[in-house]
Amino acid sequence: MVASMHSSIPSPLDGPADGLAAASALRAMADRIEDAEVERAMREGWSWSQVAEALGVTRQAVHKKHLRRLLMAHIELRRRSGE
Amino acid sequence: MNRVFGAHRVAPLLVSWEIGSNIVRQFEIEARRDGAKFIEAEHMLLALASNADSDAGRLLIEAGLDHERLAAALREESRRTLAFAGMSAPDNGLAAINELNRLAPGAEATGLDGAPSLGTSAKMAVRRAMIGSRHDRGRRGRLRATDLLAGILEADFGTVPRALAIAGIDRAALASRAWGFE
Repeated sequence: MVASMHSSIPSPLDGPADGLAAASALRAMADRIEDAEVERAMREGWSWSQVAEALGVTRQAVHKKHLRRLLMAHIELRRRSGE
Repeated sequence: MNRVFGAHRVAPLLVSWEIGSNIVRQFEIEARRDGAKFIEAEHMLLALASNADSDAGRLLIEAGLDHERLAAALREESRRTLAFAGMSAPDNGLAAINELNRLAPGAEATGLDGAPSLGTSAKMAVRRAMIGSRHDRGRRGRLRATDLLAGILEADFGTVPRALAIAGIDRAALASRAWGFE
């Protein structure tokens, strides 16, 4: 097991490791911001289509990604006819 | 292995762990404190470091890694990582949730339910721990906290090895001590 830590393995710091870590951290941050802002938008009465357009994705995509969580949060969602 | 690696919740794993439920609860506490949706390896490591009475906690503290120093190293890792993208890290808190709160005051997403799931780095640490504990000692099942510590330490890339490199910790030596712990 310890043999896997051979000196030929690149450092977890510097070079590509810093950039890859930044990409990962920003992706996680973007997910958190999206979760929080979709929830805020739906609490404020936005429609799925409005949220999707603002995010630049399809209504189906945002619905699939967030519906369950929003239902668990007991957020009143606009019906499709209200869009 | 597939059953364990594929699991998302912490609780079902307890049956094959010799890790105290108080430490497992601490995984969730550390993840929530970090504002994370998932329990990652760094949250497990913080939980192990916070329990000075456990074998894993003692190993970490002997290596100079108490909870406070580990948290500081993780903050520095976050600062360095965000700096790469031209962003400044907050002074308090472990990671980007604080930055999120700054960007969107009052906005915090509701989780799917009360209990965070295991993230990829945590699953990989458990997987390495289970493989290593069987391989090195020829025993089956029962994962100990020191096995999990070794599994966490064996990640070559990601938040934990970056933070430990920043803290000047000899990760390989510490992993070796954790594997050899009897």
